[in-house]
Parts: sequence; structure tokens; C-alpha cells
Amino acid sequence: MGWYYIQGILILSGIYLMAVLGLSLLTGFTGLFSFGHAGFMAVGAYTTAAMTIKFNVPFILALLIGGLAAALVSLVIGKLTLNLKGDYFCIATLGFGEAIRLILDNVQYFGGARGWPGIPLKTGLMNVIIFNVIAVVILVNLIKSRHGRNLQAIREEEMASQIIGINVFKYKMISLAISAAYAGIAGGMLAHYTGFLQPKMFQLIKSTELTIMVIFGGLGSISGSIIGAIVLTSLPEVLRAFDRWRLVVYGASVIFIMITRPQGLMGGYEITITNIKKLISRITSLGKKKHTIGGDN
Amino acid sequence: MKKRAFFLLISTVIILSLLVTGCSPKPTEPAAIDEPTEDVDVEVVNVGWIGSLTGDQAVWGNCEFNTVKMLFEEINENGGLLGKQINVIGYDTRGDAMEAVNAVRRLTSQDKIVALIGPNASGQAIAISSVLEEMKVPGIATVATNPKVTVDDNGQVKPFNFRVCFIDPYQGAVAAGYAKDVLGFTKAAILYDVADDYSQGLTEFFEMTFKEKGGEIVAKEGFKFGDVDFRPQLSKIKEANPEVLFMPYFFKEAALSANQARELGIDAVLMGGDGWPSEVLIEMAKEAIEGSYIVNHLDFADPDVQDFKATYTAKYNLPVELNGYLAYDAVRVLEQAIQNADSFDSVAIRDALKTVSVKGITGQINISADTHNPEGKDAAIIKIVDGDYIFQQKYSAE
Amino acid sequence: MSAFLQQMINGLSIGSVYALMAVGYSLVYSIMNFSNFAHGGVIMIGAYMGFFLMTALELPFAVAFVLAAIGAGLLAVSLERIAYRPLRKRNAPFLYFIISAMGASIFLENIVVATIGPTFRTYPKVFSSTPFQFGQISVGRLDAIMFLISGISLMMLVYIIEKTKTGMAIKSTAYSIRASTLMGVNTDRIIFIVFGLGGVLAGIAGVLFGMKYTVYPQIGFITMKSFIAAVFGGLGSLPGAVIGSILLGVIETLTAGYFSSQYRDLIAFILLIAVLIWRPSGLMGKITEDKA
Repeated sequence: MGWYYIQGILILSGIYLMAVLGLSLLTGFTGLFSFGHAGFMAVGAYTTAAMTIKFNVPFILALLIGGLAAALVSLVIGKLTLNLKGDYFCIATLGFGEAIRLILDNVQYFGGARGWPGIPLKTGLMNVIIFNVIAVVILVNLIKSRHGRNLQAIREEEMASQIIGINVFKYKMISLAISAAYAGIAGGMLAHYTGFLQPKMFQLIKSTELTIMVIFGGLGSISGSIIGAIVLTSLPEVLRAFDRWRLVVYGASVIFIMITRPQGLMGGYEITITNIKKLISRITSLGKKKHTIGGDN
Repeated sequence: MKKRAFFLLISTVIILSLLVTGCSPKPTEPAAIDEPTEDVDVEVVNVGWIGSLTGDQAVWGNCEFNTVKMLFEEINENGGLLGKQINVIGYDTRGDAMEAVNAVRRLTSQDKIVALIGPNASGQAIAISSVLEEMKVPGIATVATNPKVTVDDNGQVKPFNFRVCFIDPYQGAVAAGYAKDVLGFTKAAILYDVADDYSQGLTEFFEMTFKEKGGEIVAKEGFKFGDVDFRPQLSKIKEANPEVLFMPYFFKEAALSANQARELGIDAVLMGGDGWPSEVLIEMAKEAIEGSYIVNHLDFADPDVQDFKATYTAKYNLPVELNGYLAYDAVRVLEQAIQNADSFDSVAIRDALKTVSVKGITGQINISADTHNPEGKDAAIIKIVDGDYIFQQKYSAE
Repeated sequence: MSAFLQQMINGLSIGSVYALMAVGYSLVYSIMNFSNFAHGGVIMIGAYMGFFLMTALELPFAVAFVLAAIGAGLLAVSLERIAYRPLRKRNAPFLYFIISAMGASIFLENIVVATIGPTFRTYPKVFSSTPFQFGQISVGRLDAIMFLISGISLMMLVYIIEKTKTGMAIKSTAYSIRASTLMGVNTDRIIFIVFGLGGVLAGIAGVLFGMKYTVYPQIGFITMKSFIAAVFGGLGSLPGAVIGSILLGVIETLTAGYFSSQYRDLIAFILLIAVLIWRPSGLMGKITEDKA
């Protein structure tokens, strides 16, 4: 039994989880859909690596700077595109992700398309877990706060939220910036896990996979996002035995999940002690209580 | 509401079972081949392979994996190595560096491989080197041509990374040297893939060498991987009127861009690197690439090459891509190293690899202990004549 | 001057390639209000169908072309049945449709890799590759034919939408699915037809691409550009899709030709953002009420 291998999967799940948490805030709690998060990861990854290698900044600080850089970039993008509706915003973020990659391909200072080897290996299972716990705590508190409720109000009824005096644009910006910061930190951890960066690592498919993880776990559920990130990072590993049929199965299961359970695994619910108790009592007295959809906590 | 609870339960069970079954060691591996089931006494040793079986590099990855499987089957039929049977375990990386890291972690810790063959791209090869070092398993890259695959940033050789192909600077320099010194061209244009490491590497060193030799780069245009139309760039190149057009990328793009260049009336000689050779190239652009030159690893008309090609095609009913030849050499190098080491201990194999010298299909391969690259490997210059790859000469830069 | 004209022709030809894809995609968008990312997959399968009909069954080009178009139409319709209809019945938000479409796109690409293999396939030569020459300017024969075929198929589409009863129903459904249902339009049937039409267009595009650029499992990736083109022109608007595509093709070509081929896509992206700031629903976008 290869603990070393499992450790690898867990670290990678943890790295993706960080990005997924951010995306969960944006997609699950604010209702915005981004195809550019791999771009934010790239910004964070390259910034963090530049900090540790070129300026000898300590790893943790470098990660925060990486996250900050991604957040700053997101503010610029958000300012320009957050007023756009649904698919327009989607395609604009898609274009952004590709544009970031193209710039990195051309910038020889960071190795261009040939990549940037020799980044010190600093990401381990321990610090990934610690960072993720901190990230979850921050996110949960944010969502429970007044600001979090405002975000969810925007997700449900943008027009109505505007009318009752929520500054929709500002909140969307905050949500985008925080989620970009999470993605940036994830990128930084990734850089110090593989020890090598290449723009190719941040293709559109990465953004898509992150979004699939959020939706798989269930929009508006942090525990769902956590499960989504871990399950969907391990799934391709579990499917290794399928050889070249692996991604066929992956694609089919994505469709299957969407059509059988479009609200995702957790469907807006959280795993908390009270909810587990409720679930148990519900199983024992099947089908007596009536529940409304989307009620978290 | 009953349904929801039920669904949750079921999905939890499925996930748990997936995780449990996925992590427990499997008795049989579908990707593995020729598990000798009858004679239980024969010990089996695992050798790993990684590369792209899916994704945009799949053509090359599949050919590599097929070659590696085929050669070890042959070795097993002839009695195996050191009296043991070799079992090849191959994993797909989708061409993704992170997947490569996971695959190698699995190969080294769970499948307990003694050595790794692959991957076929520099990005993955560099990303896995820390894993190889940690687990002390040697890896022989097939066509990872970035110098940094075997040498780190400070010029120190990486202890567990080897390769059998020549590197980007060498190939770029050979192409530039041949174009300038042998063919006598002074005006060159380059069209390259900005999003591809191999293409950028060759471009950089071609440009450098060609300028050093007194030539002039009249145009340097880029496209992005996935593009299929190169006419805007080619129209610009046409105006610069080069004598030779260097196209360092893979054969699909090479064929499309060659066709489009001829359509636009560019009559410069075309030149490519080792991404070109393939039967598909001729099929796609027979007329357009007539008279072009290619920097290659080997002469296709060599009898050894013909034998291998015939066996491969008979077995898989597919043409051999270039990676097949280099995978062939990687297997030969590993075979020799295991025999020299007289052991299946990974570190002993690593030590033996440092001094391996074996006649491969792409020439004599002498691994250098200082760089872990094959030393003194001349490039073969190939000209395309009547839709055939005709060997011109061996050529080395400097 | 001739260089500029040549670049314009290059741009038009690239733009018409984008247009053929963007129209099918925009057509589906106009009814369903979501980006059908599986469109590229359908194009790819169409290209393979054409290829195998011509090589394995040795059918003449015209027959293979029509059959591939029909086949792609059927595929698109079955995709709608399997991947989208259950979502539609449940009134799921557009996110789920997009994810389902992405799943379909991953599935289609990889099922081809797993069964047919990743090898590049070259279409048998149907048209001569010698270009038409006008002085210094050359126009590829295949490009001219493609331009023609795209033009004809787009005109047929416009005819169907503008002149037939079904077309009326499509237009009204595009305006509002609910209202049309109330007015007695069988929206299930309309959606079926729209996906069929989109699929047929994808099949046509697939065969033409296959001939021009060879066939391989990732050929559907070119559609990324046509999504951007459709947003440029305004999602859900067919003339917008055509104009956006032609504009994008020409802009890309001129950027590569006169500015920087390395940064071409970046400039195209900046332009896209600029257009969206100026007109948030593209050049000729359908104004949608807030449904999210």
C-alpha cells in the first residue's frame, strides 16, 4: 500500500481544494460562473515562485503575496466584466485565462513556454492541511456574516438585492477578489509542490475541472466543495486501471451527476453536527418532515 | 425527502468503496502485459512507463507505450532479464505535469518499479524529477529535449534523470549550422509555436546559432498551439522573402503550414526538427514538403530500423512515430544497465546507467556520467525526395 | 497593397470558418440561453463520420457530406435528449447545462481517442490544392468552396427561420419559451429541431474542417474561437454570429500580419472586452431579461 502515493493525491486534492473553496464562494454563494480561475492560479503561482526564488521571501509570506497579486488582477478584470450577464461573463473570463497563459508563454523572464524549473519544494501534506483549515474557517465566517448573506441574496435575486440597498457590484467584486486570492494561493502551493511551472499547466481544462468540482459538491455548500475536490481529484487516480477509457468514464459521470442530481452531492446542505443528527432522525422516521431546498446550516 | 437521504447514503457508499478499492493494491493491472500466470516460480519485476495516452500528445504517447510493451514481451520470450520476467506498467498523464507526478508516485510506491521509461515531454520530465530522487528510482526520458531535464539550474546533474535523445540547443544549432554552412542560406525565417516548450527551445537556439554564423533572421512569427490556420503569419513571412523557413513543431502543424505556405506562393526551402518525421506528414503534405530538410535522430533506411518498423506495424497495424525509436533505445539502455548492474536494485541500475554504452536504433548511445545525456550522438540530416525520407549525412554542431 | 489584400482574404477565410461554427452554437443559445460547449465535439464526430464514409465505405463526397451532416444532427439531438432534457424538465439554472455540455465534450473527445485512436486522418483529395491566382493574391480553392458552402447553408437556415411555420415557432420560442408554450407551440419539438439544425451545421463544418485541416480528436477545440466570436457579435443573434466571426477573423489576421503574431490572441481578447464594455450584450445581442 503506497502511502507515498496517497500522500501525493491528498496534497494535490488539498491544492485544488484551496482553489475550489474560492470558486465556491464565487459560483456557489454569489452565482457567478468563471472559466478563468486557472488564470488566477497561474498569476499566484508565478508571483509566489518569483518571491521565493528571486527575492528570498519566506514561503508563507510569498503565498500571501501570490494570493494578493491574483486578487489585484481580478479587481481589474472584475471592474471591466462584472456587469456582464451570465455567458458573457463566462466567455470573458475564459478569454482572460487564455490571455494570461499567452503572456506567460511569451515572457522569457519566467522561462516562457519552456517552463521554470528549480522552484524549491516547500509544499507538504502538513502545511496544505493547515492552510486549508484556515481557509475553511475564514470562508465559513465570511459566509455566516452579514456580507455572506448579502452575497447569497445577490445569488438568489440580483434585482431585489439592488433595490433593498445592497451594492451588488461591490459585493461581486469582493467575492471575485477573495476567490481569486484563494486560487492564487493554490497556485503558489502548486508551484512549490511540483517544483516546476509551465503555462501549459494552467489550461482552460483546469478552470473547467475546478468548476466541475464545485458543482459536483453542490452549489452553496462548503462541505460539498471539500468532498467535491477530494473525490474528483482522486477519481482519475482511481480510474487509472481503465487506461485510455478513463476520461470517457469521467465525462460520462459528469453528465450522469448533472442529470440525476443537478443540485450536487450536498445540494446546499452542510455537514455539521446538527445536520448529521437531523439526517439520522430523518432516516429513522423516513419522510415525515418537509424541507425546503437550499437551506444551509 | 426519503429520496434525498437515500441518495446521500448511496453516494457515500459509492465514494467510500471507490476510495477503498482504488487505494488497495490490485492483483491484476489491465495496463500490464504478459503476466506469466502459468509458471509461478518465475519472479516478475515491474518497470514503469508514463506518457500521454490521451490528450493532444496521444499519438506519440501511444506509439511509445506500444513499443515499450512490445520490446519487453520479446525480452520475456527470450528468457527475461537476469532470469526474471519483466512486467510493464504504464499510466496515462494526459500530458499534464501534475498527473505525471501522481502517476510516478503511484509507480514508485505502490507498484514498486525498478526503473521508469518516459515521459515524452520535458515539462512532465522536470516535474517528476523530485519524486524520482525521493524514491531513488532512475527514469529514462524518451524525447524530453529540454536541457533542464537532467541538469538543474546550478548546472548540477540530477542523480536519477537520464535521457536518450539529444537536447534542444543541439538540435537548433544543427539545423542552423546545416542551413548556413552546408546549404549556404543567409536569410532565414522562423515560424514557431509560442505555447510549446520544444518549439520555443529550438527557435531560441536556431536563431542564436544562425546569427552567430553571420546569417540574418528576416522574420520570426508565432502561432499558438491549437491554431490550424497560419496564413496571416505566412503572408508576413512571404514579404520578408527568406531563403529558408524553419518550422520547429510537430508534423500536423508542419503539414498544414507547409501546405498553406505553398498556397501563398512561398518557395523557400522548408526545414524542420525531429517533430516532423511521420508517415502522416507525407500523406498530408506530399507536394508541399518536397525538398525540405529535417534534423532527425536516425536514418530511416537503416536495416535495423526497417526490422523494427515491420515488427511494430505487423503487431499494431499503425505507423511508427519518432517516439517509438527513442522508446526502443530507452528500453535497450535500461536492459543493458540492468545486465551491467547484475541486479534489480534501482540504485544499482542508476549507477550502471551512468556508464551505459549500447548500440541503439538511433546510433551508438553512450550515456555521459556528467550530463546523463547520450554523448557524441550525431544528428541525421534527412531530405524529403519524392515523398520519401532520404538520408543525406550525419551532421553535428561543432 | 497586395500584401494587405492577401491578409484581408486570409482574414475573411478564417472568419468564415468561425462563422460556420458560431452560427450553430448561437442558434442553440437563442433558444436555450446557455453555451453549448459540446458543439465542438459534434463537429469533431461529424468530421470523423465524413472521413469514414468516404474511406471505409468509399462513398462519393457529396453523399458522405450529406450523410455526415445528418449523422451529426442526430448526435446533437440525442445529446439534447440525454444530457440536457432532464435538466430542462427540472428548470435547472444555466450553470448545470454548461457543466453537462462540458462533460459531453470530454466524453466525445475521449471516446474517439479510446476507440478510433488519436491518429491524424487525412481526407481523400476531393478538390485540387492549387489556388486561384489573381495577380499576387492567391485564394485557396478549398477556401472558396468553403465560403460558398457556408453561405448556402446559412441562407437555407435563414430561409427556414424566416419563411416557414416552424421558423416562426423557433423565433417565438427564442423570445420566450413560456409564452410560446402557452400559445400552443410544442416547445419540445422546437428544441428538438433547433438541436437538429445546429447539429447539421456542425456536421457540415466538421466535414469541411476535416478536409482542410485533417481529422483528429481535438479538432473541436477550434470552436473556442467561435464562442468568442459569437459573444463579440452578440449571443443568440445569427447575423451577430456571422458578423462577429468575420470581424474576429479579420482582426486576428491583421494583428498577426501588422502587429505581433505572438500576442495576437491577447489583442483579440482586449478588443473583446472593449466591445463588451461598450455594448454589454455584443454587437447585435439579444436583450435578455434577467433570468439568473
